[in-house]
Amino acid sequence: MRTRNPILRVIIHLSLIIWAIYSTFPFFWAFLGSIKKPVDANARVPVIFGFTPTAQNYVELWLNMPPEKFVPIGIGILVTILALIAFAVFTKDSLTGPAKSLIIISVLVVMFALLPQIADMSKFYTYFLNSVIITVCTLLISISIGCLAGYGIARYSGLLGVILLVVALGFRALPRMAFVLPYYYLANIVGLYDTHIMLILALVAVNQPFTVWMLRSFFMEIPREIEEAAMIDGAGRLQSFLRVIVPITWPGIITTSLFTLLLAYNEFLLARVLMQTNLTLPVAIAQFTSGEDAGHITIANAAAISISLPIVFVIIFFQKHLIKGLASGAVKG
Amino acid sequence: MSRQTFLRFVAPSTILMLLLMVLPLFTSIWLSFHFITYRNLHDPQWIGLANYREVLTDPAFWESLRFTMLYMVTIVPAQIVLGFIVAMLLDQIEGRIRGVYIAASLLPFIVTPVVGALVFRHLFDPNGPCTYLLKTLFHYKLAMNSTTVRALIILHGIWYTTPWAMIVLFAGLQTLPQEPMEAATVDGANWIQKIWYVVLPHLRSLFVFISLISIMDAYRVFDSIYVLTKQNPLYKADTIMYYNFKMAMSYQDLGKANAIAILTVIGIMIILIPFLISTYRQQMEER
Repeated sequence: MRTRNPILRVIIHLSLIIWAIYSTFPFFWAFLGSIKKPVDANARVPVIFGFTPTAQNYVELWLNMPPEKFVPIGIGILVTILALIAFAVFTKDSLTGPAKSLIIISVLVVMFALLPQIADMSKFYTYFLNSVIITVCTLLISISIGCLAGYGIARYSGLLGVILLVVALGFRALPRMAFVLPYYYLANIVGLYDTHIMLILALVAVNQPFTVWMLRSFFMEIPREIEEAAMIDGAGRLQSFLRVIVPITWPGIITTSLFTLLLAYNEFLLARVLMQTNLTLPVAIAQFTSGEDAGHITIANAAAISISLPIVFVIIFFQKHLIKGLASGAVKG
Repeated sequence: MSRQTFLRFVAPSTILMLLLMVLPLFTSIWLSFHFITYRNLHDPQWIGLANYREVLTDPAFWESLRFTMLYMVTIVPAQIVLGFIVAMLLDQIEGRIRGVYIAASLLPFIVTPVVGALVFRHLFDPNGPCTYLLKTLFHYKLAMNSTTVRALIILHGIWYTTPWAMIVLFAGLQTLPQEPMEAATVDGANWIQKIWYVVLPHLRSLFVFISLISIMDAYRVFDSIYVLTKQNPLYKADTIMYYNFKMAMSYQDLGKANAIAILTVIGIMIILIPFLISTYRQQMEER
C-alpha cells in the first residue's frame, strides 16, 4: 500500500533520514572525536566543523614507531590489498568462490601476521591479531562441524534429531554466566586459562546451537532428490554432501558464517573472563572505558572507529546476506 | 538417512556441545554448593545450600533483579513499537535509497556492543553534544548518578535493539499478501483500519517471536552495563548478569556467583519452557 501523495512521501523520507541520523550519529561523533586533538575533543561547546583534523590518535593507537618510517610499509599494504581486489574482480569466472576466498584470506593472514616483524607495532595491533586469529579459527571450526550437524538433522526424520534441536535451542537461551564461570574453573584446572584455544573452543560451543539451527534451515531448502541422484551415481553420503550439497548451499553457508564472524568478533564477556594477557579488541577497548582524562577520549574514539570499520565493510558488502539471516526467523543470539 | 549415518554427522558438534555446554552447566551446579574463591580453586569446600540462602537474602540481588525487570518492560515494547513504525516507513519506499537507510539503521545492532555503548556514552560525557544540548535548550545540567545512568542504559538499550525488531518486521511486511489489502481498499478502509485489521494480524507470530527473543536478551544484558557504569560504584546500576559478574570478579566468590548463575538459569527456563514445548511440537509435525 504505497502512498502516492507527494507530501506524505516527503514526510516519510524525512522521518527515515532522522532515523538514520539517530542510528549513526554516535558513530559519526566518535569519528569526529578520533580526528580531533584532545583540546578540541574537550571543548566546552562541542565542535563539529571548526577544528584541524589530525591522524595523531590513530598513529598513537597502532604504532610504536614514528609514522614517517611506517609510510613505505603502509604503501606496501595498500598495494597488496588493491592487488587482491583486482585479483578478485578479474578472476570472476575462472575460480570458484571458496577457492578464491581461501587464497585472499591466506594472503591477508600472512601479511598481517608478518607485519610486526618489519614494523614496530603497538599492543593494540597484537590485540587486533588475537581477535583475527580467534575469529577465523572459531569461524572455520564452527562452520565445518555445524554444517555436518545441520545437514544430519535436516535429513534425519527420527526423534533424536528433534530432541537435539530443541535442547540446543534451550542452551542458546541460557545466560552466558552459567558457562563462563565453569569455563574459568575448568580452564584453570586443565591449564588452558589465558590461551587462544580455550576461548576458541568456548566460542565454538556457545555459538554451535545457533549455527546448527541456521545451517539446518538452509539445508532443508535443498530438495532431497539432488543428493539421491548423486548417491545413485555411486557417491557415498559424505562424498555427495561435500561435492554436491555444500556447493549448492554456499550462499546459506556464507550467511551463517557472517553471523558466526560477528558473534566471535564482538564477544566480550567470554574473552574478558577467559583471557588475561591475550586480550581481544572488545576487551582492549573496554579498558578505555573507565578513564576520564583528556587524552583518553580521543584515543578511545580512534579505537572505537578502528574496531567498527571492519564491521561497516561487512554490512556494506554482505547486506543482502545479513538481512536474509537477520530476517530468517527462528535463530538469533 | 539411517540412524547411524545421522549419528556420524552430528557427532563432532554434539560431543563439543556435551563437553562445553552440558558439562559446564553441571560443573556450575556442583560449584554452587561449595565455598570457592580464587585462592582455594583446587580445593573447594562443601557448604550445601548456604550460597543460595545468602544470595536470596541479599538485597543487592533483588535490586539487580528489579532493575533487570524494569529494563525488560521498557526495552521490549519500545523496540517493537519503534521497529514497527520504521519498518512500515521503509516498506513505503523502494530502490537504492532504501538499502542505505537499512544499512544505517543496522549499524547500532551490528557493531561490537562494547563499542556501541562506548560511542553512545560519549554523547553524554560532560563535554558531549547531548549534555550540551540539554544544558542550552532545557537548562538541564546532566550529572551522572545511579538514576541518570539507569536512564542512559535504557536509552542505549532501545537504540541498540530496535534495528533487529525493525528488520524482522520489515521482512514480514514483504510477505504481506496483496488481496486482503486491496479488498480493504475497495471496502473503503482508512490506513489505521488497514494496519489494525490486515497488517497487524499478519505479523502476529513475528511480534510473539521478537518479544520472546528480546525478553531473553534483556534478561542477560551485560556489555552495555559494563561500559556505561564505567565499573564505578557511584553509578551503580546492576542488572542480574552484572551483579553475577561482580560476585565472580570483584568479590571473587565463585561459589556464590555460580549459585546466582543457576538461579538465573532457573528463571529463564520458567519463561522458556512453554516456548521450547511449542517448538518441539512444531518440529515433530514438520519432520
